[in-house]
Amino acid sequence: MSERLAVAAFALVTLVALWVAPWAAFSRETGSRAAVILLPDRVIDFTGRTEPISVPGHAAVLWLSVAGLAVVAGGAALPGRARYGAWLAAGVLLIGTATWGLAQFDAAVETRRAQAFQEAIAPNIADPRPNQDAERLRQLSEQALTRPVERSVELAREAGVVVRRLPYGGSAPGFAAFLTLVAGAAALLFGLRLWPRAGRVLDRVLTAVAIPAVSIALALLAAAVVILLLQPTPLGRDVVVSGPVMALAGRLDTLWHAYYILFSGSLGTTKGFFDALSFATPLIFTGLAVGFGFRAGLFNIGAPGQMVLGAIGAMFVGLYLPGPAWVVLPAAVLAAAVGGGLWGAIPGFLKARFGANEVINTILLNFVAASLMLFMLSSSPTFAASAVRVIQLIAWVVVASVVGLLVPPIRRVMRISPRLTLAAVAVVTLVGAVVVAQPRPGDQPVVLNLPFKAPGSEPKSFELSEAARIPRLPAMFGIDLRATPGTNVVPVDAAAWIAGLLAVLAFVGGGAVAAVRRRGFQGRILAALAVAAVAYAVLAAIGWRALPLTIPPTNLNPSFLLALAAAVFVWLFLFRTRYGYELRATGLAPKAAEYGGANIPRNTVMAMAISGALAGLTATHYVLGGALEDYALRQSLPTGDGFDGIAVALLGANHPVGTVLAAFLFGVLKNGGSAMNIAFTDLTRDVVSMVLALVVLFIAAKGFLPDRLTHPLRRAQALGDLPEEPTGGTPGGDVPVVAPKVAATEGDR
Amino acid sequence: MDTVVLLALLGSALRATAPLLFAALGGMFSERSGVVNIALEGIIIFGALAAALVTYYVELPAITQNPGASVWYAPWVGVLAAMLVGGGVGWIHAVVSIRYKADQIISGVAINLMAIGVPAVVLTGLFGNSATSATITNRLPRWGEGAFQFSPLVYLAFLLVPITWYVLFRTPFGLRLRAVGEHPEAADSVGVSVTRMRYAGVMLSGVLAGLGGAYLSIGGFNQFITEMSGGRGFIALAALIFGKWHPLGVLGATLLFGAFQALETQLGGGQLLPPTVVQSLPFILTMLVLAGFVGRAIPPKAIGKPFEKG
Repeated sequence: MSERLAVAAFALVTLVALWVAPWAAFSRETGSRAAVILLPDRVIDFTGRTEPISVPGHAAVLWLSVAGLAVVAGGAALPGRARYGAWLAAGVLLIGTATWGLAQFDAAVETRRAQAFQEAIAPNIADPRPNQDAERLRQLSEQALTRPVERSVELAREAGVVVRRLPYGGSAPGFAAFLTLVAGAAALLFGLRLWPRAGRVLDRVLTAVAIPAVSIALALLAAAVVILLLQPTPLGRDVVVSGPVMALAGRLDTLWHAYYILFSGSLGTTKGFFDALSFATPLIFTGLAVGFGFRAGLFNIGAPGQMVLGAIGAMFVGLYLPGPAWVVLPAAVLAAAVGGGLWGAIPGFLKARFGANEVINTILLNFVAASLMLFMLSSSPTFAASAVRVIQLIAWVVVASVVGLLVPPIRRVMRISPRLTLAAVAVVTLVGAVVVAQPRPGDQPVVLNLPFKAPGSEPKSFELSEAARIPRLPAMFGIDLRATPGTNVVPVDAAAWIAGLLAVLAFVGGGAVAAVRRRGFQGRILAALAVAAVAYAVLAAIGWRALPLTIPPTNLNPSFLLALAAAVFVWLFLFRTRYGYELRATGLAPKAAEYGGANIPRNTVMAMAISGALAGLTATHYVLGGALEDYALRQSLPTGDGFDGIAVALLGANHPVGTVLAAFLFGVLKNGGSAMNIAFTDLTRDVVSMVLALVVLFIAAKGFLPDRLTHPLRRAQALGDLPEEPTGGTPGGDVPVVAPKVAATEGDR
Repeated sequence: MDTVVLLALLGSALRATAPLLFAALGGMFSERSGVVNIALEGIIIFGALAAALVTYYVELPAITQNPGASVWYAPWVGVLAAMLVGGGVGWIHAVVSIRYKADQIISGVAINLMAIGVPAVVLTGLFGNSATSATITNRLPRWGEGAFQFSPLVYLAFLLVPITWYVLFRTPFGLRLRAVGEHPEAADSVGVSVTRMRYAGVMLSGVLAGLGGAYLSIGGFNQFITEMSGGRGFIALAALIFGKWHPLGVLGATLLFGAFQALETQLGGGQLLPPTVVQSLPFILTMLVLAGFVGRAIPPKAIGKPFEKG
């Protein structure tokens, strides 16, 4: 019922948008000014210097879209199968029309640009300079209409003419076209219910993604308000907004372009895509860390601190361990994991042994870690002599206490009254501290010059040894970005890469076969090797051993693959091992798990240690991977990623696959935030951080959705798919959507 | 150390205590009603922002005519705004965690995340830079003598300790609040509205934390700076636990932490210890407390659990 209403309402909104919202934009300039086209053939120019363009077939696009939308909206009133049929047809019509229209628009813009190109080089043809080849230019001019303009410009440069700034650049679809496409897609999607089985799959998918999808949508909607408030419509010089149509079109174009900028760079360009992956890498680690904790029923807010300790561990190994890369690099990665793991194990231990809440302890440890890093990277921290004596005293007291606890006779005395002993020790320490703290003649302050701190006031360590560095993507292809900045084209042995990929696919895909045929591990490895060998031979024979490949300048480095491997590890550990099963059981129902034989204290420490280790592995990106300018530990280590990990884990429903996808989305948004900074005068990347926060808030509130929509069981009942069949084994409550199913199927292991 | 230095140290310790005390007492209202309020940090930031902005815009007309004009009521309007905004953010936390039964910690984390993004967005919109607000001319007055010159909010913070104690332990409201946090079913069965009491507790905590924020921006300083709170909300939370959810305990804990902060600034020149070492001491101390080395901290029984009316 609500579905019909929603689809119809969306179609009606789109109908309105077709009249008032820009359908496409062109001549996008710096500062995001543009000229926009509204259907049918109304051009509004915000730049003040753009010749209007007419889209061929615009009337057909408009009326076909209107017809399609009308069918979608009207179809909602039809009964069952007729409705779905109507939606299917209308969906195809809408998507087809919009795609065709946009293609027409692109062609029109391209033609105009080609004509502009011809005009630009015309003077050079008529009166060539000595270095210019007039004959070639005439050829180019004749062929301009049949060749991509970018290519023409490139060829013209070779012929000696540099063409700068052709008009009509930066053309893009507008809000109305986008809404039409979405309406079409929605109609198609829900039209699938024509086939009951597809409908059931659809239901399951919708239930699973309802909360995150609605939360993201609501957060983006909230961002719309902020965008509209902050950013006035960008106008060219001497442009005056006249009339409500122009004003509204301007506002809608600003809003749409802000969203477009947010996503288009990462999803539309190679560099943007790699950068988004680079942003996503640490988030995958921290998201896995937090999600792993959640699964075990532990709330690890300590990822920022664990990141710091991981980075410190990686730095120590990277600076001081001599040896070849194949020794140092794995050791450094391990050190990152161990550093984070130990830091995570502390709150785990405190919870297991003393029942201290891990939430507050992890927060406290974040501050301690931050102070520790600041201490380590500050220039020559100074201790007064008396302070050193107090520290020595405390150290002695600690040593004495430990000795006392280990020597049986003293231990026996201490055990008579632990409180009294503690009080005595405290008094001795305090009095002793006051005594030794008295200044003495000849006291000199003790200055620590930490050996790893790089000289200068900048809080950073020395750079790591070459052996401990994970090369960035361009460096992996032998590109030195300092020598050749920007995008490079290099020959690449594509055969080896593709063969490797196929081998991995064969191995993974072999898993499905193996599950059915019960083939072993060795068989799959052999098969994968065979696939690789055959593929390499074939591809090498075709000549794919030196394909030109475009490598953009990017921070992306192989720690991304390590992050994916960590996700696989977490999945295997949680869902395919006894320990993981125990952890999940503890997370879902601690009492029951304990009754079933789970060792809760041990599991708590282990879970926190693994969680911390995952967070610590972010150092592979930030320190070993050199994502912060250089290969060093810097105080600018963005520990906020630890908090973002909470959002990532929530969005990914604490499942490794979901976490990777959520991290990618966040990577796209963060990358888009940087693009937003550049594209608009009054919008900054802070809008993105606000969106992320809102996503968390809305997911926490389950998207403000009623149970009927988000809860698999209740949804099935509401739809009438599920009669009074007994449903044992499906626990109710607010556990993540994926968890109960897995728990139920594996319950008998 | 001579007396002057010692007195100055004591004065700055009391000043450093005030915002912690506001937030910790606020946190007590929330946690005593059974809702974990990890959002204190964020609420302090929102409060500080609101106070600075409202003060600025209230005094703006007078300032533009005569720079340095005295508009005595401007900071007080700012304080009021901080209370309102703090209460409002508390209300968000309440809605999400009570009405929608969200995990209270996640909701709090979300608000803290918002406190990073939203002020930056607002500041960009108003002043064109994302880190600081414009400076204000009329900050809160200072009352007192010599080293003991304090903003009225400092006196208010310490005054709130007995008031909170009285409200919590000597009024029907306080009894109900505590009952809701200890055993909501029992409270519900005698006709106390668990939901309403919890809303009250969380929003009160927002109002108080907002006051703490106002002290930071227009009491102790004359503008809003991002990350102005510097983890005070979390320290307050630690103090709340250290003080075992009791006003007097909280007073002691915040005084201790305030003293550490004062030490950090006084000894910042590295005369005794590097400031980074002093910084981390309160946190380590709290962890020891939590581990039970200095007596056990027992939280309200129903804390963190959404109430399902049976």
